Amino acid sequence: MDLQDITPFSVLDARGLTCPMPLLKTKKELKGVPSGEILEIWGTDPGSKNDIPHFGAKNGNTFLGFFDDDEGYTRYFIQKG
Amino acid sequence: MSSVSFWSSLKEEARRNYIAIFEQEWPTWLAGIFLALVALLIFLWKGPWGVAAAYRNVGDWLLYFGGVGEERPFSPLLHPIVLTSGGLLIGAFVSALMSRQFKLHKAPPLEYAKSAIGGIFMGAGAVLAAGCNVGGFYTAAAMLDFGGVAMMAGLIVGAWIGLRYLLWEMEHVPQKGVEQHPPGERWLGVQPYIGGTVLVLVIAAFYLYAVFDDAALGGLLFFGFLIGLIMHRSRFCFVRAFRCPFMTGDAEMVKVVAMSLMIYGMGTAVIKWAWIQEPSMGVNHNFWIGSLLGGVIFGVGMLIAGGCASSTLWRIGEGQTKMVVTFIAFALTNSLLARVLKSFDLYDKMGQGVFIPDSLTWYVTVPTFIIFFVFWAFVAIWNEKSEKLVIF
Repeated sequence: MDLQDITPFSVLDARGLTCPMPLLKTKKELKGVPSGEILEIWGTDPGSKNDIPHFGAKNGNTFLGFFDDDEGYTRYFIQKG
Repeated sequence: MSSVSFWSSLKEEARRNYIAIFEQEWPTWLAGIFLALVALLIFLWKGPWGVAAAYRNVGDWLLYFGGVGEERPFSPLLHPIVLTSGGLLIGAFVSALMSRQFKLHKAPPLEYAKSAIGGIFMGAGAVLAAGCNVGGFYTAAAMLDFGGVAMMAGLIVGAWIGLRYLLWEMEHVPQKGVEQHPPGERWLGVQPYIGGTVLVLVIAAFYLYAVFDDAALGGLLFFGFLIGLIMHRSRFCFVRAFRCPFMTGDAEMVKVVAMSLMIYGMGTAVIKWAWIQEPSMGVNHNFWIGSLLGGVIFGVGMLIAGGCASSTLWRIGEGQTKMVVTFIAFALTNSLLARVLKSFDLYDKMGQGVFIPDSLTWYVTVPTFIIFFVFWAFVAIWNEKSEKLVIF
């Protein structure tokens, strides 16, 4: 799946936030995402590159991947299980 | 037969090692082992590793320049803990540059306010506990001071309270992300050269101290540098050990910190039992009121600020601007509150250091220490599966 072509159910803007806020907000936002739908997270905290993939693969969810956007932030994709 | 020359082989090996050290992130378990070993080297070299005293020294100087107090504070260039902590910050800075990750990170306005509040809490907690997450908990526990265990209990409670606050804030205080400027190609390319130059300067500083017959101080700068490098490359964060069991149930950092403490503590036991260093060294924490209460306050602060005493330093080193606010608030609060407690003669009422082997004997202390931290790790592993302690 090409991450750039994904149309997410919702987008969480966590740019500028640092640990633990991006992960906390991801966990909260994911609760409102229907099963099978995708949550996209925008983040700039380097620690999120570990935290979000690790968390996104838990509890039956699928972490689809991430990439660095040209605008200086990272885009993460989690599919709700 | 291959025609590869010695120099091309060397160049290829150097390139592969550079990638392994500066482009791939280090596993936290490896960092936990390295951290314990460097902390033991610091103990053998000069004395127990700490961080909060560096904040105190900076706070003392800021107040002195602000006209508070007439006594000139101790020179930071001759202060062992300032040098270790300065080395930590520089080590993280070099690590960030060598891995092309140094960047000035902007944060939303609320995050700067939280950084200040978290820094105030941590500064106050570190005065009461006579140390921060490093000196008051990690090192104090390894030095076999009951104060380290009391602060650990306080940090767990404080992390729980701090996380409760963050959950409340998330529900009630809307916050938008802020745009960041992407780093330019030229800046990315030049970073390793700047990092290499700073590394050479750190080594030169060690020799400079040695020339002035103070190799011990130069060594502390270098050990601090190694800690900064280790922490940044692995993103080693003590806060995660106290926060994650309540937040996601993740047990990784509890296992790492427990393992690191077992190495550090047992290494210390060998050094102290064999009288290589004085057994009472580093047993100066405020057991139990100060350590416990300080731990709770410090724990709340590190959750609000998003970093503890050590991770504030390495995050400044990678360009997190909000942590500079935490640093200043921590330093000023620590310096001011220490003066208040001293002037009202309250410091002694916070408790005193209690050497565990004096209470339990060496024969009971060593296995008890191991069992205690293994138990902590197993509780975290059980919680990872059951999520019984997860509050969100």
